Amino acid sequence: MVELPVLVIGGGPAGMEAARGIADIGYRCVLVEKRMVLGGTPELANYAALTPDFRDAGEAMAEMAKAVQDDEQVDVRIGTTVRDVSGAAGGFEVSLKSGTGNETVKAGAVVIATGFQHFDPGRETQQYGYYEYDDVLTLVDLEKMLREKKVVRPSNGEPPKRMCFIQCVGSRDRQIGNEYCSKVCCGVAAKESIEVRQLLPDCKVFIFYIDMRMYGYWENEIYWPSQEKYKVNYIKGIATDIRKKGDKLIVRGEDTTMGRPMEVPMDLVVLSVGMEASSGTKEMAEIFGVELNKYKFIETTGGALNTVATSVEGVFACGAATGPADIEDSISSASAAAMKAVSIVRKKALAG
Amino acid sequence: MTLDLSGKQYAGVDYDEKERLFEEVKKDFRFEQYLYGCYECGICVAACPSARFYDFSPRKIAQSVAREDVDLFYVFLNDSVWDCSQCFSCDVCPRKNSPGGLITLMREVAVNNGLASAQEALEGYGRVVYKIMATGTQVAPDMLQANAFPDWGPHVKDIAENLEAWRRALPPETMHTTEASWQVDEKTITELYLIWHMTGVMDMIKEVDEGLFMILQDVMEEKLEDAGYDVSFD
Repeated sequence: MVELPVLVIGGGPAGMEAARGIADIGYRCVLVEKRMVLGGTPELANYAALTPDFRDAGEAMAEMAKAVQDDEQVDVRIGTTVRDVSGAAGGFEVSLKSGTGNETVKAGAVVIATGFQHFDPGRETQQYGYYEYDDVLTLVDLEKMLREKKVVRPSNGEPPKRMCFIQCVGSRDRQIGNEYCSKVCCGVAAKESIEVRQLLPDCKVFIFYIDMRMYGYWENEIYWPSQEKYKVNYIKGIATDIRKKGDKLIVRGEDTTMGRPMEVPMDLVVLSVGMEASSGTKEMAEIFGVELNKYKFIETTGGALNTVATSVEGVFACGAATGPADIEDSISSASAAAMKAVSIVRKKALAG
Repeated sequence: MTLDLSGKQYAGVDYDEKERLFEEVKKDFRFEQYLYGCYECGICVAACPSARFYDFSPRKIAQSVAREDVDLFYVFLNDSVWDCSQCFSCDVCPRKNSPGGLITLMREVAVNNGLASAQEALEGYGRVVYKIMATGTQVAPDMLQANAFPDWGPHVKDIAENLEAWRRALPPETMHTTEASWQVDEKTITELYLIWHMTGVMDMIKEVDEGLFMILQDVMEEKLEDAGYDVSFD
Protein backbone atom coordinates (compact mmCIF):
# COMPACT_ATOMS: atom_id res chain seq x y z
CA MET A 1 0.00 0.00 0.00
CA VAL A 2 1.22 3.49 -0.80
CA GLU A 3 1.94 5.88 2.04
CA LEU A 4 -0.99 8.28 2.16
CA PRO A 5 -0.91 11.74 3.75
CA VAL A 6 -2.23 12.43 7.24
CA LEU A 7 -5.41 14.46 7.47
CA VAL A 8 -5.26 17.04 10.28
CA ILE A 9 -8.57 18.65 11.18
CA GLY A 10 -8.44 22.05 12.85
CA GLY A 11 -6.12 24.99 12.21
CA GLY A 12 -5.54 26.06 15.80
CA PRO A 13 -2.30 25.68 17.76
CA ALA A 14 -2.67 21.88 18.06
CA GLY A 15 -3.59 21.29 14.41
CA MET A 16 -0.86 23.59 13.10
CA GLU A 17 1.74 21.94 15.34
CA ALA A 18 0.62 18.43 14.29
CA ALA A 19 0.83 19.41 10.61
CA ARG A 20 4.23 21.02 11.04
CA GLY A 21 5.48 17.93 12.90
CA ILE A 22 4.27 15.54 10.20
CA ALA A 23 5.92 17.66 7.51
CA ASP A 24 9.13 18.01 9.53
CA ILE A 25 9.65 14.27 9.59
CA GLY A 26 9.12 14.12 5.85
CA TYR A 27 5.50 13.11 5.45
CA ARG A 28 2.63 14.75 3.68
CA CYS A 29 -0.30 16.30 5.41
CA VAL A 30 -3.63 17.88 4.54
CA LEU A 31 -4.61 20.54 7.06
CA VAL A 32 -8.32 21.38 7.04
CA GLU A 33 -9.71 24.49 8.72
CA LYS A 34 -13.35 25.56 8.48
CA ARG A 35 -12.67 29.27 9.03
CA MET A 36 -10.89 31.38 6.45
CA VAL A 37 -7.84 31.90 8.70
CA LEU A 38 -5.47 29.74 10.66
CA GLY A 39 -4.84 30.45 14.35
CA GLY A 40 -7.79 28.77 16.04
CA THR A 41 -9.36 30.16 19.20
CA PRO A 42 -6.37 32.36 20.13
CA GLU A 43 -6.92 34.15 16.81
CA LEU A 44 -10.73 34.03 16.87
CA ALA A 45 -11.01 35.32 20.43
CA ASN A 46 -8.34 38.02 20.07
CA TYR A 47 -5.99 36.68 22.72
CA ALA A 48 -3.49 39.34 23.72
CA ALA A 49 -0.72 37.36 25.37
CA LEU A 50 -0.11 33.68 25.87
CA THR A 51 -0.15 32.11 29.32
CA PRO A 52 2.24 31.77 31.05
CA ASP A 53 5.01 33.48 29.07
CA PHE A 54 3.14 36.66 28.01
CA ARG A 55 4.25 36.15 24.43
CA ASP A 56 2.20 38.17 21.94
CA ALA A 57 -0.54 35.73 20.88
CA GLY A 58 -1.09 37.21 17.42
CA GLU A 59 2.59 37.03 16.63
CA ALA A 60 2.88 33.45 17.93
CA MET A 61 -0.12 32.24 15.90
CA ALA A 62 1.15 34.01 12.77
CA GLU A 63 4.49 32.27 13.20
CA MET A 64 2.79 28.87 13.47
CA ALA A 65 0.57 29.58 10.46
CA LYS A 66 3.53 30.67 8.35
CA ALA A 67 5.40 27.45 9.19
CA VAL A 68 2.64 25.29 7.70
CA GLN A 69 1.79 27.62 4.82
CA ASP A 70 5.43 27.76 3.72
CA ASP A 71 5.88 24.00 3.85
CA GLU A 72 5.26 22.18 0.55
CA GLN A 73 4.48 19.00 2.44
CA VAL A 74 1.43 20.64 3.98
CA ASP A 75 -1.67 21.12 1.87
CA VAL A 76 -3.56 23.83 3.75
CA ARG A 77 -7.30 23.96 3.06
CA ILE A 78 -9.06 26.90 4.70
CA GLY A 79 -12.81 27.40 4.48
CA THR A 80 -13.14 23.64 4.33
CA THR A 81 -15.15 21.19 6.41
CA VAL A 82 -15.16 17.42 6.77
CA ARG A 83 -18.43 15.84 5.66
CA ASP A 84 -17.98 12.11 5.75
CA VAL A 85 -15.48 9.28 6.02
CA SER A 86 -15.11 5.71 4.85
CA GLY A 87 -12.29 3.21 4.90
CA ALA A 88 -9.96 2.31 7.74
CA ALA A 89 -6.50 3.03 9.17
CA GLY A 90 -3.98 3.23 6.33
CA GLY A 91 -6.69 4.04 3.82
CA PHE A 92 -9.37 6.49 4.85
CA GLU A 93 -11.40 8.31 2.22
CA VAL A 94 -12.62 11.60 3.56
CA SER A 95 -15.05 13.86 1.76
CA LEU A 96 -14.41 17.56 2.18
CA LYS A 97 -16.61 20.51 1.41
CA SER A 98 -15.39 23.98 0.56
CA GLY A 99 -16.56 27.05 -1.30
CA THR A 100 -15.36 25.49 -4.51
CA GLY A 101 -17.31 22.26 -4.07
CA ASN A 102 -16.91 18.77 -2.70
CA GLU A 103 -13.81 16.63 -2.91
CA THR A 104 -12.65 13.31 -1.54
CA VAL A 105 -9.13 12.98 -0.20
CA LYS A 106 -7.30 9.83 0.78
CA ALA A 107 -5.55 9.75 4.13
CA GLY A 108 -3.59 7.10 5.98
CA ALA A 109 -4.42 8.53 9.39
CA VAL A 110 -6.45 11.34 10.89
CA VAL A 111 -5.61 13.83 13.64
CA ILE A 112 -8.61 15.59 15.17
CA ALA A 113 -7.56 18.96 16.61
CA THR A 114 -10.88 20.74 16.73
CA GLY A 115 -10.42 22.23 20.17
CA PHE A 116 -12.81 23.79 22.60
CA GLN A 117 -15.20 26.66 22.95
CA HIS A 118 -15.52 29.05 25.87
CA PHE A 119 -18.38 28.42 28.27
CA ASP A 120 -21.28 30.79 27.69
CA PRO A 121 -21.97 32.27 31.15
CA GLY A 122 -25.50 33.22 30.27
CA ARG A 123 -26.47 29.79 29.09
CA GLU A 124 -27.38 27.87 32.23
CA THR A 125 -27.87 30.31 35.05
CA GLN A 126 -28.15 34.04 35.01
CA GLN A 127 -26.67 34.50 38.48
CA TYR A 128 -23.82 36.69 37.26
CA GLY A 129 -25.93 38.72 34.85
CA TYR A 130 -23.58 38.42 31.88
CA TYR A 131 -26.26 39.43 29.40
CA GLU A 132 -27.91 41.79 31.86
CA TYR A 133 -25.08 44.08 32.97
CA ASP A 134 -22.69 45.85 30.60
CA ASP A 135 -19.84 45.72 33.09
CA VAL A 136 -19.87 41.94 33.49
CA LEU A 137 -17.34 40.46 31.07
CA THR A 138 -15.62 37.16 30.43
CA LEU A 139 -11.89 36.41 30.32
CA VAL A 140 -12.29 36.46 26.55
CA ASP A 141 -13.83 39.94 26.49
CA LEU A 142 -11.06 41.26 28.71
CA GLU A 143 -8.44 39.59 26.54
CA LYS A 144 -9.70 41.66 23.64
CA MET A 145 -9.50 44.86 25.69
CA LEU A 146 -5.97 43.96 26.74
CA ARG A 147 -5.03 43.45 23.13
CA GLU A 148 -6.23 46.97 22.44
CA LYS A 149 -4.48 48.17 25.61
CA LYS A 150 -7.67 49.82 26.74
CA VAL A 151 -9.48 48.40 29.76
CA VAL A 152 -12.67 50.33 30.45
CA ARG A 153 -16.17 49.83 31.81
CA PRO A 154 -18.40 49.26 28.77
CA SER A 155 -21.21 51.14 30.57
CA ASN A 156 -19.42 54.48 30.61
CA GLY A 157 -16.05 54.10 28.93
CA GLU A 158 -14.19 54.94 32.17
CA PRO A 159 -11.27 52.87 33.46
CA PRO A 160 -12.37 50.74 36.44
CA LYS A 161 -11.14 51.60 39.95
CA ARG A 162 -12.08 48.23 41.42
CA MET A 163 -12.53 45.05 39.46
CA CYS A 164 -12.69 41.35 40.18
CA PHE A 165 -12.42 38.00 38.53
CA ILE A 166 -14.79 35.20 39.48
CA GLN A 167 -13.20 31.79 38.93
CA CYS A 168 -14.71 28.45 37.88
CA VAL A 169 -17.60 29.91 35.87
CA GLY A 170 -18.96 26.94 33.95
CA SER A 171 -16.43 24.56 35.46
CA ARG A 172 -16.52 22.26 38.49
CA ASP A 173 -20.23 22.74 38.74
CA ARG A 174 -22.65 19.88 39.13
CA GLN A 175 -25.57 22.28 38.68
CA ILE A 176 -24.34 23.18 35.22
CA GLY A 177 -23.17 19.69 34.36
CA ASN A 178 -19.51 20.52 33.85
CA GLU A 179 -17.87 18.80 36.77
CA TYR A 180 -14.34 19.05 35.42
CA CYS A 181 -11.73 21.72 36.04
CA SER A 182 -10.96 23.73 32.91
CA LYS A 183 -7.34 23.88 33.97
CA VAL A 184 -6.28 27.13 32.31
CA CYS A 185 -8.64 29.77 33.74
CA CYS A 186 -6.67 30.23 36.99
CA GLY A 187 -3.52 30.93 35.05
CA VAL A 188 -5.27 33.12 32.50
CA ALA A 189 -7.00 35.17 35.22
CA ALA A 190 -3.71 35.63 37.08
CA LYS A 191 -2.02 36.65 33.83
CA GLU A 192 -4.79 39.10 32.93
CA SER A 193 -4.76 40.52 36.46
CA ILE A 194 -1.08 41.36 36.01
CA GLU A 195 -1.77 42.96 32.64
CA VAL A 196 -4.59 45.05 34.14
CA ARG A 197 -2.39 46.22 37.01
CA GLN A 198 0.32 47.15 34.51
CA LEU A 199 -2.15 49.17 32.45
CA LEU A 200 -4.11 50.62 35.41
CA PRO A 201 -1.85 50.86 38.48
CA ASP A 202 -4.60 52.57 40.49
CA CYS A 203 -7.17 49.86 39.88
CA LYS A 204 -7.69 47.40 42.74
CA VAL A 205 -7.97 43.86 41.42
CA PHE A 206 -9.56 40.96 43.28
CA ILE A 207 -9.77 37.27 42.33
CA PHE A 208 -12.51 35.22 43.96
CA TYR A 209 -11.66 31.55 43.76
CA ILE A 210 -12.39 28.04 45.04
CA ASP A 211 -8.75 27.04 44.85
CA MET A 212 -6.10 28.35 42.54
CA ARG A 213 -4.86 25.55 40.31
CA MET A 214 -1.51 26.85 39.25
CA TYR A 215 0.41 23.66 38.79
CA GLY A 216 4.10 23.46 37.99
CA TYR A 217 5.98 26.64 37.25
CA TRP A 218 2.82 28.60 36.50
CA GLU A 219 2.65 29.22 40.22
CA ASN A 220 6.03 30.93 40.14
CA GLU A 221 5.64 32.59 36.77
CA ILE A 222 2.20 34.13 37.15
CA TYR A 223 0.54 33.43 40.49
CA TRP A 224 3.18 34.78 42.86
CA PRO A 225 4.08 37.81 40.74
CA SER A 226 0.39 38.73 40.62
CA GLN A 227 0.05 38.48 44.39
CA GLU A 228 3.45 39.68 45.59
CA LYS A 229 4.51 42.16 42.92
CA TYR A 230 1.23 43.36 41.50
CA LYS A 231 -0.77 43.17 44.76
CA VAL A 232 -3.72 41.34 43.29
CA ASN A 233 -6.09 40.36 46.11
CA TYR A 234 -6.87 36.66 46.18
CA ILE A 235 -10.02 35.91 48.14
CA LYS A 236 -11.07 32.34 48.71
CA GLY A 237 -14.79 32.24 48.19
CA ILE A 238 -16.99 32.21 45.13
CA ALA A 239 -19.47 34.99 44.50
CA THR A 240 -23.07 33.99 44.98
CA ASP A 241 -24.53 36.66 42.77
CA ILE A 242 -24.06 40.08 41.28
CA ARG A 243 -26.52 42.91 41.66
CA LYS A 244 -26.54 46.40 40.33
CA LYS A 245 -26.62 49.33 42.73
CA GLY A 246 -26.39 52.78 41.22
CA ASP A 247 -23.59 52.55 38.70
CA LYS A 248 -21.75 49.86 40.68
CA LEU A 249 -22.01 46.10 40.66
CA ILE A 250 -22.38 44.54 44.09
CA VAL A 251 -20.68 41.18 44.38
CA ARG A 252 -21.91 39.02 47.23
CA GLY A 253 -20.14 35.98 48.59
CA GLU A 254 -18.21 34.63 51.52
CA ASP A 255 -14.70 35.67 52.36
CA THR A 256 -13.83 32.24 53.72
CA THR A 257 -10.28 33.31 54.52
CA MET A 258 -11.49 35.87 57.01
CA GLY A 259 -14.59 33.88 57.90
CA ARG A 260 -17.13 36.56 57.11
CA PRO A 261 -19.78 37.33 54.53
CA MET A 262 -18.87 40.00 52.03
CA GLU A 263 -20.71 42.41 49.85
CA VAL A 264 -18.31 44.48 47.80
CA PRO A 265 -18.81 47.14 45.14
CA MET A 266 -17.05 46.63 41.81
CA ASP A 267 -16.77 48.64 38.63
CA LEU A 268 -16.02 45.64 36.46
CA VAL A 269 -16.52 41.90 36.94
CA VAL A 270 -14.73 39.32 34.80
CA LEU A 271 -16.11 35.81 34.65
CA SER A 272 -13.38 33.20 34.31
CA VAL A 273 -15.24 31.01 31.88
CA GLY A 274 -14.05 27.48 31.34
CA MET A 275 -13.76 25.22 28.34
CA GLU A 276 -16.29 22.97 26.67
CA ALA A 277 -15.84 20.72 23.68
CA SER A 278 -16.34 22.78 20.55
CA SER A 279 -19.18 22.04 18.16
CA GLY A 280 -16.50 20.98 15.67
CA THR A 281 -15.11 18.45 18.13
CA LYS A 282 -18.54 16.93 18.65
CA GLU A 283 -19.22 16.82 14.91
CA MET A 284 -15.90 15.13 14.14
CA ALA A 285 -16.50 12.59 16.91
CA GLU A 286 -19.80 11.75 15.27
CA ILE A 287 -18.39 11.52 11.75
CA PHE A 288 -15.38 9.40 12.71
CA GLY A 289 -17.30 7.38 15.28
CA VAL A 290 -14.84 8.09 18.09
CA GLU A 291 -16.18 7.84 21.61
CA LEU A 292 -16.63 10.84 23.82
CA ASN A 293 -15.85 10.79 27.53
CA LYS A 294 -18.42 11.72 30.15
CA TYR A 295 -17.35 15.37 29.88
CA LYS A 296 -18.23 15.33 26.18
CA PHE A 297 -14.65 15.72 24.97
CA ILE A 298 -13.04 13.04 22.80
CA GLU A 299 -12.05 10.05 24.90
CA THR A 300 -8.41 9.07 24.72
CA THR A 301 -8.15 5.32 25.12
CA GLY A 302 -4.46 4.76 25.77
CA GLY A 303 -4.43 5.70 29.43
CA ALA A 304 -1.39 7.47 30.81
CA LEU A 305 0.97 5.99 28.22
CA ASN A 306 -0.79 7.13 25.08
CA THR A 307 -2.53 10.46 25.33
CA VAL A 308 -3.67 10.76 21.71
CA ALA A 309 -5.22 7.40 20.71
CA THR A 310 -9.00 7.26 20.28
CA SER A 311 -11.46 4.37 20.10
CA VAL A 312 -10.92 4.18 16.30
CA GLU A 313 -7.63 2.86 14.96
CA GLY A 314 -5.78 5.43 12.90
CA VAL A 315 -7.76 8.35 14.29
CA PHE A 316 -5.91 10.44 16.87
CA ALA A 317 -6.98 13.47 18.84
CA CYS A 318 -4.90 16.19 20.44
CA GLY A 319 -5.12 19.60 22.06
CA ALA A 320 -8.33 20.76 23.70
CA ALA A 321 -10.44 18.32 21.66
CA THR A 322 -9.61 15.72 24.31
CA GLY A 323 -10.22 17.95 27.33
CA PRO A 324 -9.26 21.33 28.76
CA ALA A 325 -5.71 22.12 27.74
CA ASP A 326 -3.34 25.05 27.77
CA ILE A 327 -1.15 25.90 24.79
CA GLU A 328 1.80 24.00 26.26
CA ASP A 329 -0.32 20.84 26.59
CA SER A 330 -1.80 21.30 23.13
CA ILE A 331 1.56 21.65 21.44
CA SER A 332 2.94 18.60 23.27
CA SER A 333 -0.02 16.36 22.48
CA ALA A 334 -0.01 17.60 18.86
CA SER A 335 3.58 16.42 18.45
CA ALA A 336 2.66 13.06 19.96
CA ALA A 337 -0.32 12.75 17.59
CA ALA A 338 1.86 13.65 14.59
CA MET A 339 4.36 10.97 15.49
CA LYS A 340 1.73 8.29 16.07
CA ALA A 341 -0.16 9.19 12.89
CA VAL A 342 2.98 8.92 10.78
CA SER A 343 3.85 5.70 12.50
CA ILE A 344 0.56 4.05 11.55
CA VAL A 345 0.76 5.37 7.98
CA ARG A 346 4.18 3.68 7.63
CA LYS A 347 3.15 0.46 9.30
CA LYS A 348 0.03 0.05 7.18
CA ALA A 349 1.96 0.84 3.99
CA LEU A 350 4.68 -1.69 4.85
CA ALA A 351 2.11 -4.35 5.73
CA GLY A 352 0.00 -3.55 2.74
CA MET B 1 -13.77 37.17 73.06
CA THR B 2 -14.72 37.02 69.42
CA LEU B 3 -12.90 39.45 67.21
CA ASP B 4 -15.26 41.62 65.19
CA LEU B 5 -13.83 41.76 61.66
CA SER B 6 -16.68 43.78 60.23
CA GLY B 7 -14.84 47.03 60.96
CA LYS B 8 -18.09 48.64 62.10
CA GLN B 9 -16.53 49.54 65.45
CA TYR B 10 -14.08 51.82 63.62
CA ALA B 11 -16.46 53.20 61.01
CA GLY B 12 -16.03 56.62 62.67
CA VAL B 13 -12.27 56.68 62.06
CA ASP B 14 -11.28 58.44 58.84
CA TYR B 15 -10.08 56.13 56.10
CA ASP B 16 -7.17 58.52 55.51
CA GLU B 17 -6.03 58.07 59.10
CA LYS B 18 -6.19 54.28 58.80
CA GLU B 19 -4.27 54.49 55.56
CA ARG B 20 -1.64 56.76 57.10
CA LEU B 21 -0.95 54.15 59.81
CA PHE B 22 -0.95 51.37 57.22
CA GLU B 23 1.61 53.24 55.13
CA GLU B 24 3.73 53.78 58.23
CA VAL B 25 3.92 50.01 58.72
CA LYS B 26 4.70 49.46 55.05
CA LYS B 27 7.48 51.98 54.86
CA ASP B 28 9.43 50.36 57.70
CA PHE B 29 12.68 49.00 56.32
CA ARG B 30 11.95 45.54 57.79
CA PHE B 31 8.58 45.26 56.08
CA GLU B 32 9.70 43.68 52.85
CA GLN B 33 11.48 40.87 54.68
CA TYR B 34 8.46 40.19 56.86
CA LEU B 35 5.72 39.87 54.29
CA TYR B 36 5.71 38.36 50.82
CA GLY B 37 2.52 36.56 49.76
CA CYS B 38 0.30 34.03 51.48
CA TYR B 39 -0.64 30.45 50.63
CA GLU B 40 -3.44 30.55 53.21
CA CYS B 41 -2.01 27.28 54.47
CA GLY B 42 -2.53 28.09 58.16
CA ILE B 43 0.84 26.77 59.34
CA CYS B 44 1.41 30.00 61.29
CA VAL B 45 -1.86 29.59 63.15
CA ALA B 46 -1.10 25.93 63.83
CA ALA B 47 2.24 26.94 65.37
CA CYS B 48 0.85 29.89 67.34
CA PRO B 49 0.32 29.46 71.12
CA SER B 50 -1.90 32.55 71.36
CA ALA B 51 -4.24 31.15 68.71
CA ARG B 52 -5.11 28.35 71.12
CA PHE B 53 -6.40 30.77 73.71
CA TYR B 54 -7.67 33.78 71.85
CA ASP B 55 -9.59 34.55 68.69
CA PHE B 56 -6.22 35.36 67.19
CA SER B 57 -4.82 34.50 63.77
CA PRO B 58 -1.39 35.54 62.51
CA ARG B 59 -2.60 34.36 59.08
CA LYS B 60 -5.47 36.82 59.01
CA ILE B 61 -3.23 39.66 60.16
CA ALA B 62 -0.66 38.89 57.46
CA GLN B 63 -3.37 38.52 54.83
CA SER B 64 -5.11 41.76 55.72
CA VAL B 65 -1.82 43.56 55.13
CA ALA B 66 -0.95 41.58 51.99
CA ARG B 67 -4.38 42.42 50.59
CA GLU B 68 -3.87 46.06 51.52
CA ASP B 69 -7.25 45.92 53.23
CA VAL B 70 -6.83 49.10 55.23
CA ASP B 71 -10.07 48.80 57.20
CA LEU B 72 -9.30 45.26 58.27
CA PHE B 73 -5.71 46.20 59.07
CA TYR B 74 -7.03 48.86 61.43
CA VAL B 75 -9.19 46.30 63.25
CA PHE B 76 -6.16 44.05 63.80
CA LEU B 77 -3.95 47.01 64.72
CA ASN B 78 -6.29 47.83 67.59
CA ASP B 79 -7.91 44.61 68.62
CA SER B 80 -5.50 41.81 67.82
CA VAL B 81 -1.80 42.61 67.79
CA TRP B 82 -1.55 42.66 71.59
CA ASP B 83 -2.71 39.05 71.80
CA CYS B 84 0.59 37.97 70.22
CA SER B 85 3.30 36.72 72.58
CA GLN B 86 6.04 37.59 70.07
CA CYS B 87 7.47 34.06 70.25
CA PHE B 88 7.93 33.91 66.44
CA SER B 89 6.77 30.32 66.17
CA CYS B 90 4.96 31.59 63.08
CA ASP B 91 8.31 32.01 61.33
CA VAL B 92 7.81 28.45 60.01
CA CYS B 93 5.98 30.04 57.05
CA PRO B 94 6.83 28.28 53.73
CA ARG B 95 6.59 31.62 51.95
CA LYS B 96 9.12 32.98 54.49
CA ASN B 97 6.74 35.54 55.93
CA SER B 98 7.13 36.59 59.53
CA PRO B 99 3.66 37.38 60.86
CA GLY B 100 5.26 37.97 64.28
CA GLY B 101 7.67 40.47 62.76
CA LEU B 102 4.81 42.19 61.00
CA ILE B 103 3.04 42.40 64.37
CA THR B 104 6.17 43.98 65.86
CA LEU B 105 5.94 46.71 63.24
CA MET B 106 2.23 47.17 63.83
CA ARG B 107 2.75 47.44 67.60
CA GLU B 108 5.45 50.03 67.11
CA VAL B 109 3.16 52.07 64.90
CA ALA B 110 0.32 51.70 67.42
CA VAL B 111 2.55 52.90 70.25
CA ASN B 112 4.27 55.67 68.32
CA ASN B 113 0.89 57.05 67.37
CA GLY B 114 -0.49 56.76 70.90
CA LEU B 115 -3.51 54.65 69.92
CA ALA B 116 -5.91 54.29 72.85
CA SER B 117 -5.93 50.53 72.34
CA ALA B 118 -2.13 50.42 72.71
CA GLN B 119 -2.26 52.52 75.87
CA GLU B 120 -4.87 50.21 77.31
CA ALA B 121 -2.97 47.08 76.35
CA LEU B 122 0.23 48.37 77.94
CA GLU B 123 -1.37 49.84 81.07
CA GLY B 124 -0.53 46.82 83.21
CA TYR B 125 3.10 46.91 82.17
CA GLY B 126 3.93 50.35 83.60
CA ARG B 127 5.63 48.89 86.65
CA VAL B 128 7.70 46.44 84.60
CA VAL B 129 8.69 49.15 82.13
CA TYR B 130 9.63 51.44 84.99
CA LYS B 131 11.84 48.74 86.52
CA ILE B 132 13.63 47.94 83.29
CA MET B 133 14.16 51.50 82.27
CA ALA B 134 15.06 52.92 85.66
CA THR B 135 17.17 50.08 87.05
CA GLY B 136 18.28 48.17 83.97
CA THR B 137 16.86 44.92 85.34
CA GLN B 138 13.42 43.54 84.70
CA VAL B 139 12.02 41.63 87.66
CA ALA B 140 12.99 43.15 91.00
CA PRO B 141 12.64 41.25 94.30
CA ASP B 142 10.38 43.94 95.78
CA MET B 143 7.78 43.12 93.13
CA LEU B 144 7.23 39.87 95.01
CA GLN B 145 4.31 40.76 97.22
CA ALA B 146 1.82 38.35 98.70
CA ASN B 147 -1.23 40.18 97.35
CA ALA B 148 0.23 40.25 93.83
CA PHE B 149 0.97 36.52 93.78
CA PRO B 150 -1.68 34.75 95.88
CA ASP B 151 -1.27 31.58 93.85
CA TRP B 152 2.37 31.24 94.85
CA GLY B 153 1.42 30.10 98.35
CA PRO B 154 1.67 31.37 101.92
CA HIS B 155 5.48 31.50 102.05
CA VAL B 156 5.46 34.50 99.70
CA LYS B 157 4.23 36.65 102.56
CA ASP B 158 7.16 35.60 104.74
CA ILE B 159 9.68 36.23 101.98
CA ALA B 160 8.22 39.62 101.17
CA GLU B 161 8.36 40.74 104.80
CA ASN B 162 11.94 39.67 105.28
CA LEU B 163 13.16 40.42 101.79
CA GLU B 164 16.40 42.12 102.78
CA ALA B 165 17.48 39.20 104.94
CA TRP B 166 16.67 36.68 102.22
CA ARG B 167 18.61 38.68 99.67
CA ARG B 168 21.65 39.04 101.94
CA ALA B 169 21.71 35.27 102.25
CA LEU B 170 22.67 35.04 98.56
CA PRO B 171 26.45 34.67 98.10
CA PRO B 172 27.09 37.29 95.34
CA GLU B 173 27.21 40.75 96.86
CA THR B 174 25.77 42.30 93.72
CA MET B 175 22.51 40.52 94.52
CA HIS B 176 22.06 42.10 97.93
CA THR B 177 19.44 44.31 96.40
CA THR B 178 15.65 44.59 96.69
CA GLU B 179 14.75 47.29 94.18
CA ALA B 180 16.62 45.67 91.29
CA SER B 181 17.47 42.10 90.41
CA TRP B 182 21.12 42.89 90.88
CA GLN B 183 23.32 45.91 91.30
CA VAL B 184 23.83 47.49 87.94
CA ASP B 185 27.03 49.39 87.30
CA GLU B 186 26.62 53.19 87.18
CA LYS B 187 28.30 53.40 83.80
CA THR B 188 25.90 50.77 82.41
CA ILE B 189 22.90 52.70 83.71
CA THR B 190 24.17 55.90 82.12
CA GLU B 191 24.64 54.16 78.80
CA LEU B 192 21.17 52.59 78.97
CA TYR B 193 19.56 55.97 79.63
CA LEU B 194 21.43 57.48 76.69
CA ILE B 195 20.40 54.61 74.42
CA TRP B 196 16.75 54.97 75.40
CA HIS B 197 16.95 58.67 74.77
CA MET B 198 18.75 58.50 71.46
CA THR B 199 16.76 55.62 69.92
CA GLY B 200 13.40 57.22 70.59
CA VAL B 201 12.24 54.84 73.30
CA MET B 202 11.47 57.80 75.57
CA ASP B 203 9.35 59.37 72.84
CA MET B 204 7.45 56.11 72.56
CA ILE B 205 6.84 55.99 76.34
CA LYS B 206 5.65 59.57 76.22
CA GLU B 207 2.99 58.66 73.65
CA VAL B 208 1.72 55.66 75.50
CA ASP B 209 2.04 56.62 79.21
CA GLU B 210 2.66 60.27 80.04
CA GLY B 211 2.76 59.66 83.83
CA LEU B 212 5.41 57.00 83.52
CA PHE B 213 7.36 59.24 81.17
CA MET B 214 7.47 62.04 83.74
CA ILE B 215 8.68 59.75 86.52
CA LEU B 216 11.40 58.29 84.30
CA GLN B 217 12.34 61.74 83.06
CA ASP B 218 13.06 62.91 86.63
CA VAL B 219 15.18 59.88 87.43
CA MET B 220 17.10 59.84 84.19
CA GLU B 221 17.78 63.52 83.69
CA GLU B 222 19.20 63.81 87.20
CA LYS B 223 21.47 60.79 86.83
CA LEU B 224 22.68 61.88 83.42
CA GLU B 225 23.40 65.36 84.72
CA ASP B 226 25.48 63.84 87.55
CA ALA B 227 27.37 61.86 84.92
CA GLY B 228 28.10 65.07 83.02
CA TYR B 229 25.51 64.85 80.22
CA ASP B 230 23.26 67.80 79.50
CA VAL B 231 20.20 65.96 78.18
CA SER B 232 16.59 67.05 78.05
CA PHE B 233 13.90 64.51 77.23
CA ASP B 234 11.18 66.99 76.26
